[in-house]
Amino acid sequence: MTAKALEIPPKPYTGEKARLTRAYDYLILVLALFLFIGAFHLHVALTVGDWDFWTDWKDRQWWPLVTPLMMITFPAAVQAVLWTNFRLPMGATLCISCLLIGTWIARYFAYHLWNYFPINEVLPATMLPSALVLDAILMLTNSLTITSIFGGMAFALLFYPSNWPIFGMFHVPVEYGGAQLTISDLFGFQYIRAGTPEYLRLIERGTLRTYGQYATPLSAFCSGLLCTLMYPLWWYIGKAFATTKFVKAI
Amino acid sequence: MMKPMNYVLGIFCLWLFSLTFAPNAAFAHGEKALEPFIRMRTIQWYDVQWSLDKLNINDELVITGKFHVAEDWPRGVPKPDATYLNVSSPGPVFVRTERYLNGQASVSSAALKLGGDYDFKIVLKARLPGRYHLHPFFNLHDAGAVMGPGHWFEVAGEPAAFANQVKTLDGNVIDMETYGLANGIGWHAFWFVLGTAWLLWWVRRPLFIPRYKMLQSGQGKWLITSLDRKIAMGILFGVPLLVVGASAMTDSEYPNAIPLQAGMDQIEPLPSLVNDGIVKVKVQRTEFRVPARSMTITAQIQNTSDQSISIGEFATANVRFLNPGVSPSHTDDSDTVVAPQGLSLDSTDPIQAGETRTVRITALDALWATQRLDGLIRDADTRMGGLLFLYETNGKRHIASISTAVIPKFD
Repeated sequence: MTAKALEIPPKPYTGEKARLTRAYDYLILVLALFLFIGAFHLHVALTVGDWDFWTDWKDRQWWPLVTPLMMITFPAAVQAVLWTNFRLPMGATLCISCLLIGTWIARYFAYHLWNYFPINEVLPATMLPSALVLDAILMLTNSLTITSIFGGMAFALLFYPSNWPIFGMFHVPVEYGGAQLTISDLFGFQYIRAGTPEYLRLIERGTLRTYGQYATPLSAFCSGLLCTLMYPLWWYIGKAFATTKFVKAI
Repeated sequence: MMKPMNYVLGIFCLWLFSLTFAPNAAFAHGEKALEPFIRMRTIQWYDVQWSLDKLNINDELVITGKFHVAEDWPRGVPKPDATYLNVSSPGPVFVRTERYLNGQASVSSAALKLGGDYDFKIVLKARLPGRYHLHPFFNLHDAGAVMGPGHWFEVAGEPAAFANQVKTLDGNVIDMETYGLANGIGWHAFWFVLGTAWLLWWVRRPLFIPRYKMLQSGQGKWLITSLDRKIAMGILFGVPLLVVGASAMTDSEYPNAIPLQAGMDQIEPLPSLVNDGIVKVKVQRTEFRVPARSMTITAQIQNTSDQSISIGEFATANVRFLNPGVSPSHTDDSDTVVAPQGLSLDSTDPIQAGETRTVRITALDALWATQRLDGLIRDADTRMGGLLFLYETNGKRHIASISTAVIPKFD
């Protein structure tokens, strides 16, 4: 009898109580929206930077290595707060959506209207498919360990194929100046960038060589491995900052 | 009565307002930013010319010129193993359609050789109307931007008239201004709609306070429904399937896609244009008189040609000091970094064929200060470099790249 009574779902708030808690929800959501648009966008601009700014930086080796690794950070921290305190499995999707809002605003106003670059040269990458899967894994498993391993890995592995439909067409070859270039490379040559000369690009440079000329899978798995470590690190950062002790001190 | 703090606050607000709503246009792009010893002793530009200065949208502008890579390259600057001949402009108001180094087409970065002589040609196409100041310049890896001479250009016309079509190796002609844009926006919009739907799925229900209280009271299991789980399962399997499928379709649509290209152009220097061996210049001592803004170079000049020669110009860091009696007339009125009377000699007699003479060359002008070259004496490497132009009586030119330690005089 007692066990059956426990199966009755709790009644939702009604009246003034419901109205007030809902108002609080919206207040927090709007604040979170602006906070993550600003903070996460700044974080990505400083850490991923040119890899996300320009199509001719999006190579097969460094771009899929750096981008997921730097972009799993805020999603992990926000998931730690929203999942452990509220059972809301939307931390990653919320962060990446906010990031994309900020990125598109910057690309349109700063890069296109202010600095005259065509938008197609500065198309951002998307991590929304990875974020959706990360949220789903956390919700279904309710486990930091499993989400770190499988979610972190999926977050990185899905990155390149998610973006290939956007950027694949920019890899069509062109004969230009006596050399073979991609259309992306041609953007870098034609549309003058005084502060970002070509040699600064890290295009398949370093010791992480290709395997039978396939560079991306190696980078993606390397990134996945690092993401499995980055995810719990930022989870605990998020958890550490999700505290009211600073407010109490005031 | 207003408190002093309010005055300060008011002035601060006015200052902030003026910064925000009345900004001054910036007309420079760091020409003087690098230390003088780098501007003087790395890329030494000369004979830079522009094909025209008034253009319409789609018109071509050709910039040509020469540069000498200084032999006395500063120790503190990495060697020019990775450089990029660029154009300083306020964004891509022009597009660069062609670029040549020593007649060789170059679309990538290039390695330069110390002491090498190069000529260049850059073809630009006007893209946006306006009045712009352009410089050819070199990006030097780990050093910065060494500017060449600048010039003002006026572009007229409608931006919409600009066309930039390119033929791919597949045979398709594409418009670089819009290529891939609709596809990119489409994919972003698709994922954004999916992400927003997932967010709204959760946001539509009471969020923080009720859920927190339920979780704390051990009723967390009611917060995730079986429908939530089904949707999450759909995401877990559906999204990767969609991603892999779309990626495979892209592969089949663009079977000839290649990775980004990142070669390094290897450009052989021209036969010596500077330090051609016919006129040899050896600097013995150089003093810079700070109050007078005057550089005096004492140099031994050996003329092994069969003509007498005269010193006509000393050029360093794009500042040209001309000897009015010798140098060809200066016609570019818009160029502000020329001192038409700036060069004088202790003896105006030409150096005869076969003669070796020690000459005191004085380059005097306020440009040492206004171009921020007098700061050399406070650099970590107080050596100066530049090009000395000497002319035979028949107008033939010899160029010597000189470098020397500089001793300041404060009297």
